Amino acid sequence: MYRLFVLRNDKSGCSGGRPLISLWALVLCSGIGALAQSPAAQLNANAPFSVRATHVLGLPNTKNNSNGTLSIQNNALRFQKHGNPDAQVNIASVRALFLGEESKQVGGLPVKLGKAAAPYGGGRVVSLFAHKKYDTLTLEYVDSDGGVHGAIFEVTKGQGEVVRNELVARGVSSSFGEDQATKQSTSEVTHANK
Amino acid sequence: MRTSKPNSWTFCLAAFVTIAVALSGRLAGQTAAVKSFDGSSAFGTQWSVQVERIDPGQLDLAHSFQVAIYENFLDELNKTKRFKYVFREGDSRASEIPDLLILKTMVVKYTPGSETQRAVTTVSGATKLAVRSQLVTRDGRIVLERTVNGNVRFFGSNLRVTHNLARNIAKAIKQSNVAMVRASYRDTQQPTLNAGGTQ
Repeated sequence: MYRLFVLRNDKSGCSGGRPLISLWALVLCSGIGALAQSPAAQLNANAPFSVRATHVLGLPNTKNNSNGTLSIQNNALRFQKHGNPDAQVNIASVRALFLGEESKQVGGLPVKLGKAAAPYGGGRVVSLFAHKKYDTLTLEYVDSDGGVHGAIFEVTKGQGEVVRNELVARGVSSSFGEDQATKQSTSEVTHANK
Repeated sequence: MRTSKPNSWTFCLAAFVTIAVALSGRLAGQTAAVKSFDGSSAFGTQWSVQVERIDPGQLDLAHSFQVAIYENFLDELNKTKRFKYVFREGDSRASEIPDLLILKTMVVKYTPGSETQRAVTTVSGATKLAVRSQLVTRDGRIVLERTVNGNVRFFGSNLRVTHNLARNIAKAIKQSNVAMVRASYRDTQQPTLNAGGTQ
């Protein structure tokens, strides 16, 4: 990009202004970058955040293994299944947060039946490729009586880290959870490789 | 000839009715027996239980598994209807309950599996989990101790092992007569029963 700039300037015959123009372009680009970055950083701390997730278990009044939207709004972690009232956990009550990784077969029952019906063991070959890696997000939180609850969510690979960072940015204590999460993540990968 | 045919029909019908009546009586007896075994309220009071978080011991068990076992225990223990209240760890209401048992669980064996491996090979990739569960009174007396296994061999994700395990523990608790233990414990005030069988 700079090169194009410089070439044009060369054609115009202003060879003496070349370093000046380069410097100006550099300052302009970095200025634009800084301008673009600072509001985004401010937004991240307060803006609502949501990802598609599967609630594996743990949230009250929510069906296990249901798909929905996991969002963070007004210091609460909410899970909303399509068309149903949302279940929410106050972020202040979250005691620990762990990130893991899991691999599972995709397609559900229809694919399972198809694989079973495929002749000459063709279903097994399909199984070899029909799996997907997910991030698992495990929360431990306490209710108003002090009882410990746990909740597990599955999110698309890579999204778990984002959700964890969002929660940490909103005040979830991560000193215990992060260390454990790294350890657990490694162990789960090791297990998956075994 | 004419009269013998209706007679045989009558005889068959009578035999059928007799057998049916006898069987129904027997079934009714069985139901009553089951009811009296299950009805722990016959002893006046019922235990409540507080479930503690899972102790992974020396094993490197993922936190998702620990949380899943804990939550599934709570679900399954509620389903048994053997306990008056099922409390979570740290629940302040549990301190007001006089007849409280504490369920302590320690993981003793964990074999990580793979759903893909199960789907491809059928015979390998099973996820296996074994835990030692103890029902302990407040003063530390062991009322019930069991080592229970759970596994996923064919279908389902790895986390399903926690559901199977919790169901097996609930079954084990249901089969052991906790109400009887309560009665004898109250009468003797001694450590009465350690039903330390291994399932």
